[in-house]
Amino acid sequence: MVLNPQEESLRETVVSRESEELRFEAGAALRQSSLWRDALRRFTHNRGALIAMVAFLIMLLYVVVTPWIVPYDPNNVDFSASYLTPTWSHPFGTDQFGRDLFLRTALGGRISIGIGFAATVAIMVIGILYGAISGFVGGWLDNGMMRILDALYGLPYLPFAIITLAIFGTVNFWTMVVALTVASWFTTARVMRGQIITLKENDYVRSARAIGARWNRILFRHLLPNTLGLVIVFVFLELPGVVLGEAFLSFLGLGINPPNASWGSLAQDGYTQYLSHPHIIVIPSVAIAWLILSAFFIADGLRDALDPRTEGAA
Amino acid sequence: MAILEVDDLRTYFKTRRGDVRAVDGVSFSLERGRTLGIVGESGCGKSVTALSMMGLLASTARIVTGSIRFDGRELTTLSEHELEDVRGRQIAMIFQDPMTSLNPTLTIGTQITETMRRHLDLSGDAARKRAIELLEEVHITNARQRLDDYPHRYSGGMRQRVMIAIALSCNPKLLIADEPTTALDVTVQAGILDLLEELREEHEMSMIIITHDMGVVAEAADDIAVMYAGQIVEQASAEELFDHPEHPYTEALLGALPQLEGEGVRASRLTAIPGRPPDLVDLPDACRFAPRCPYANPNDECAKHVPELREIRQGHLVRSAHPTSERAGALAGAKP
Repeated sequence: MVLNPQEESLRETVVSRESEELRFEAGAALRQSSLWRDALRRFTHNRGALIAMVAFLIMLLYVVVTPWIVPYDPNNVDFSASYLTPTWSHPFGTDQFGRDLFLRTALGGRISIGIGFAATVAIMVIGILYGAISGFVGGWLDNGMMRILDALYGLPYLPFAIITLAIFGTVNFWTMVVALTVASWFTTARVMRGQIITLKENDYVRSARAIGARWNRILFRHLLPNTLGLVIVFVFLELPGVVLGEAFLSFLGLGINPPNASWGSLAQDGYTQYLSHPHIIVIPSVAIAWLILSAFFIADGLRDALDPRTEGAA
Repeated sequence: MAILEVDDLRTYFKTRRGDVRAVDGVSFSLERGRTLGIVGESGCGKSVTALSMMGLLASTARIVTGSIRFDGRELTTLSEHELEDVRGRQIAMIFQDPMTSLNPTLTIGTQITETMRRHLDLSGDAARKRAIELLEEVHITNARQRLDDYPHRYSGGMRQRVMIAIALSCNPKLLIADEPTTALDVTVQAGILDLLEELREEHEMSMIIITHDMGVVAEAADDIAVMYAGQIVEQASAEELFDHPEHPYTEALLGALPQLEGEGVRASRLTAIPGRPPDLVDLPDACRFAPRCPYANPNDECAKHVPELREIRQGHLVRSAHPTSERAGALAGAKP
């Protein structure tokens, strides 16, 4: 491709035509847009995810608002009203002590969802920090941190949480959060590490280093924002797991103390009478399933929305 | 005075099999305001040479010996911290693939101003103003509006223009372009090369263009260094190198280019170079090109030790026992 004058002039024409086209193209796309706006558009076009989002919000609304408007005392024992099936005055019926389940399910939801969110936030913070440091620094530190994680992974989830609770000696909202966090932050850390390692190899990280960016800028400005999509998806994937874990512990009688209740302990109250009074166990179970399913569908929709490559497939 | 002097640079990669001698005794100097083209096939050490200068080597690589003097300052002994101040400010680099070289979560404007805010004491407004100027300088129209776009709204050629704008933002003295056009369409390639040359002149920079494309260096470089297996095998001005290639490898490279005109072009076939480059871990004490060289034979000097890089003509260096002009029966002015 040693160019002679004739080719040169031919190429010159090609070049000038190309740059004109380029200018045209450069001026054309003027619609202001961002990654997040595009993601929002894709999310709202996904019917399943949208329905799940609405269901999720309805649940939150029910849990938050009900205790303000229902005229009963959640802990008032009234044996004359025990085991009522759902009626207009008691939409979810009452339990063996005559307590209103519409109200108690909402209060239980506050505790279940509250523990769920608090533990999820804690899991994210710990998991992201641990994973990001491990992946970003690499080398022997990464190796060591991952082997520790492997060892923790080997411990079964529930016994781990139970032992943590036992160490605390008391069970309340915050010890529950800690126990569930301690037992379930590994996956987030590991996924985060993988993500950082992948992102670290990106050309834009190399480019950032080539302009003299320091490590903190690379980590916080170039790497972590690129994991945000994954983090959001992970919030909605972790939340159901934690809620389920809490329900499980409560169902085993390791949950928060009566007369307070979470969905798990409400279900436990009902399981002895599941034949004669099925509504007592069905209602909190449906609530748990409702929350978990909607969270999963939201996670799914978010994953599609935040990853443009899957556009059209959804 | 030369802006950059590289002397006997050796960069080795540690592997389980032993050291890979990716760059093995490279020396060159670059005058102010000139463009050096480094040509060679994949794995010949041209990119590693550039990354050594920037201090951006992978953790398994290390500079074993050699010096890199940039603007009178030794770069090989600088700490990581000091190097960070040089990168982007004094020496800027653009990479091969513009599609992945921009961070998808930051606007173009943020990414252009990033360098300036890092190295120059500029306010947000001033940096933004300068960013608009830079975008205009690399011929992106509607610069003001396009500044707040995210990279996915830019085409490949435009992204490479943005990368160039970023590289130029602090008025570096040296621009290293590592395969700047390889990932682009042929038509866009020419535009980028023209732009680089235009800006090099305007900003009074020196430039190093690394490529495997003889056409690109023919277009852009004043001087050319041909690399093979971690060494410079031939170095001369662009004109001299294309008109009178001396090293059998350079000859073969030029012979492997498609000819567009002349007698019997349609009937002719592309000439490939037989064999493959040597293993950089276990190098014999011989000319590295000897196994593929049509002129070498086992009894030659060049089979016993590595030929020195010697000046065969004024300003024309070659590392071969069989340069064109010394070959028996050589025609004056050998054809490429």
